[in-house]
Amino acid sequence: MSRRTLVVGEVRQGHLADVSLEAAGRAIELTEPTAVVGFVAGSGAEAAAGEFARVGIADVRWTDAGSGSDASAGRIAPTVAALAREIEADLVIVGGTTFGRDLAGALAIRWDAVSATGVTDVRREAGAIHVRRPVFGGRATETRRLAGPRVVLALRPHAFAVPSVTPTTVRTSGFAFVEPAPSWREAKLLALEPAAAGGGPALADASIVVSGGRGVRAPENFRLVEELAASLGAAVGASRAVTDAGWRPGTFQVGQTGKAVSPQLYIAVGISGAIQHLVGMVSSRVIVAINSDPSAPIFRVADYGIVGDLFQIVPALTAEIRRVRGP
Amino acid sequence: MPEFSLTPDQESLRDLARKFARTEMAPHAAECDRTARFPEEIYRKAYDLGLMNLNVPTEFGGSGLGLFEQCLIVEELAYGCAGMTTSIIANCLALEPILLGGSPEQRRRFLTPFCASYQLASFALTEPSGGSDAGAIRTRARRDGDAYVLEGEKCFITNAPHASLYTVFATVDPERKHKGIAAFVVPRSAKGVSPGKDEEKMGHRASSTGTVRFEGVRVPAEDRLGEEGDGFSIAMRTLDQTRTPIGALATGIAQAALDLAAAYSLKRETFGKPISEHQAIQIKLANMAQAVHAARLLTWHAAWTIDHGGKGTLESSIAKCFASDAALDVADEAIQTFGGYGYMKEYPVEKLLRDAKLTQIYEGANEIQRTVIARELLRAYQ
Amino acid sequence: MEIVVCVKPVPEAETRLRVAADGARLDAEGVKFVLAGYDESAVEQALLLKEAVAGSTVHAIALGPAPRTEEVLRAAVALGCDKASWIEVPSGGSDDPLDAARILAAAIRGLPHDLVLCGKQAGDDESGLVAGALAEALGVPGFGYVVDLRWDAARSRFTFHRAVESGQESWECPGPIVIGLQQAWNDPRTAKLPAILKSRKATITKIAASGAAASVATPEKFELPAPRTGAKMIEYRTPQEAAEKLVRILREDAKVFP
Repeated sequence: MSRRTLVVGEVRQGHLADVSLEAAGRAIELTEPTAVVGFVAGSGAEAAAGEFARVGIADVRWTDAGSGSDASAGRIAPTVAALAREIEADLVIVGGTTFGRDLAGALAIRWDAVSATGVTDVRREAGAIHVRRPVFGGRATETRRLAGPRVVLALRPHAFAVPSVTPTTVRTSGFAFVEPAPSWREAKLLALEPAAAGGGPALADASIVVSGGRGVRAPENFRLVEELAASLGAAVGASRAVTDAGWRPGTFQVGQTGKAVSPQLYIAVGISGAIQHLVGMVSSRVIVAINSDPSAPIFRVADYGIVGDLFQIVPALTAEIRRVRGP
Repeated sequence: MPEFSLTPDQESLRDLARKFARTEMAPHAAECDRTARFPEEIYRKAYDLGLMNLNVPTEFGGSGLGLFEQCLIVEELAYGCAGMTTSIIANCLALEPILLGGSPEQRRRFLTPFCASYQLASFALTEPSGGSDAGAIRTRARRDGDAYVLEGEKCFITNAPHASLYTVFATVDPERKHKGIAAFVVPRSAKGVSPGKDEEKMGHRASSTGTVRFEGVRVPAEDRLGEEGDGFSIAMRTLDQTRTPIGALATGIAQAALDLAAAYSLKRETFGKPISEHQAIQIKLANMAQAVHAARLLTWHAAWTIDHGGKGTLESSIAKCFASDAALDVADEAIQTFGGYGYMKEYPVEKLLRDAKLTQIYEGANEIQRTVIARELLRAYQ
Repeated sequence: MEIVVCVKPVPEAETRLRVAADGARLDAEGVKFVLAGYDESAVEQALLLKEAVAGSTVHAIALGPAPRTEEVLRAAVALGCDKASWIEVPSGGSDDPLDAARILAAAIRGLPHDLVLCGKQAGDDESGLVAGALAEALGVPGFGYVVDLRWDAARSRFTFHRAVESGQESWECPGPIVIGLQQAWNDPRTAKLPAILKSRKATITKIAASGAAASVATPEKFELPAPRTGAKMIEYRTPQEAAEKLVRILREDAKVFP
């Protein structure tokens, strides 16, 4: 029987994050439920630990974050490494969020492991882990062979489904926090300002993103983009032209110098599709472009295109979506 | 043996110009062309990066580049927008007379304060009555004590409405033709200097071109470059220096046209296949590529010749003449490749044709270049 | 303040990607490698701090093969870095980011450092592992996804924000720390022509590589997506018709919402 797999979960608003359940699901497929151990750290960890039951994991450990107030990745990496050693894991899987990716680097050093992030496919074959992952902003995909004996994987958010299994009974137990390097003691998380002032999901987390570009012409017209996003429960993004012009803050920017997103659906409104924008969204599953210029490069990467006046198309689209989905 | 590869230093200069052209100039090229806007914010950035006073030695605050490096930069800038490039390199043309004809004291006095901040200068040679016939200048410079009084009008002067400094060519005695011409440095602030309004142009619409009137403008004799009769020679030697970069500018236009046409040919389909698979288009692209390549090499050769101490009159005339003709041909063929779309203002190729046209005319019309080429050529047989 | 900024040569954004003959990696033939993306932001951040804190030094460090690595270090010097060190490793060697982090950590241990900056990820492999790994290897706090890093001189602490999924975190931490930068809050500057010419003559110090074990990560396959054939264009007479057609496609064909 193979050695065990440790899934490091993340607590978001008191619950286990979807990406953690996705990671757990993939871990179970790679081994078997009984060989998978779940772990969560930080405030709310004990309560969230039980939620691993949803995906069939029965053995879950948790820890508060020790002397510090936060469960940032670097602080808990030594604890995760200690747990991995204790349960004799050969694989640690984590959702590839900002937390997961920060953790992967620190943990790989602490646990002397090899690591890959942004993983969209993983298989175990001939004693090694093989991963597929998009590189170059989704313009290429690489496959790497990670010959253990210890491997840390951060999975690309939404690349894997949350498995639907019969919930199991979970046994949770505390795990002693391992203090990180002494200099961590003075690292202080002062505040967390929640994202998504507009009430939509955060850009990086969203399964649908609607972005606006130069084509919306004026800041007040950006509401057309926001209304379309609201009708879909989508996050709002923007091209660099929009954030540079100050129509929307830099946090909205999708692209090379902004956020990279890979939602199920990406709708580009009035975005011409400069390469710097494309690298941030080209790995979205379905791309729709609405633009008045039929030669706009965005149409080369889009799956569906509408050439036309966005000031007419977008309101019609918003109305149609409201009609079929209900207000 | 000639060396055709760039040094890492030259590559890094070219990369700077390329980045500037593609990120700062090109995104505004269509808008400035449509509205004939003079994008001063872009010119100011070009100055800040050291892309403006390319030929002025570093001791005076310029970039101190050889002609070859200037050409590398100018080609890249023109790829982004030829009109903006004309305005960016106008300082090189306007300041060259000071470099060639000025005393060490004059160079320091004029160039150092000028180059210390973003300022534009204009080369004021051409007059309404004649462009290439520089010997027929009518603007008068009358001696009056320790000064001259300038009277006359210059036209088609690049950046004239925005310049703070003019290098002006005027005659002290029309009877003496070429030998009566003198060169002066005249600040915009001098009493009686009045630039006219921007001309509406066919191309290079991001650039500014206009007249300058000189009405009783008093210029101290110490602001005359060289002796009274040196003006013509200063003007001609200036144009010998600045002609080659026009070849580079034309090459940049041609390269842009070729790139657009080639990329379009791969995605546009007719009769069930991309037009790049039709031989008629392939022949067009092959001919365009040859023209671009030849234009660039002729330009590099002329620049190399001058940088290595040669006079380069023949080489620079060949480069300017060939490259500007090539730019017009390649832009024309690019439009043809695009078909009806190429004729539409919504697409970027028709601008290239309008921009290319000027390169055959300014800094010595191609007819003059051919006269020069023939003269230099025949000299070898006489 | 002693600032070390790690940079990596990556193919320029416009590069047409091609697969090497072995099918396992990018064909680097003819590819232009540049200082780009997040690393440009990291250098910009280093320079902003240098300008804000008198007496600071910015030391750029990179590992990789000649000539591309030397070129990105010269680019960093042209932007304003004071010193540059190059850990030369042969072309075709390990491309494992953890190997890179171990080698960088070994080199940085020998340098004065109050702050180690890097881009949150490289523009090519996009692993994002180096900042966290470097911090752990150096035994100091490390944070990725950082924006708006500043130095609070009165309290001798760095303050910064992190853009995370649930919002924006505010942090403070004394040095030394390792920071993986999301993007500078200012546009990265462009090197000026005189600085570029001067950087050509700058001294690039060579440091011997040490600290990496034999890598157990090997590239197996490098694939380009099937060329996108371009969007399926929706024909319509009225905006309403366009909207109806698109929504039908998204529900029934693409199945992106019920």
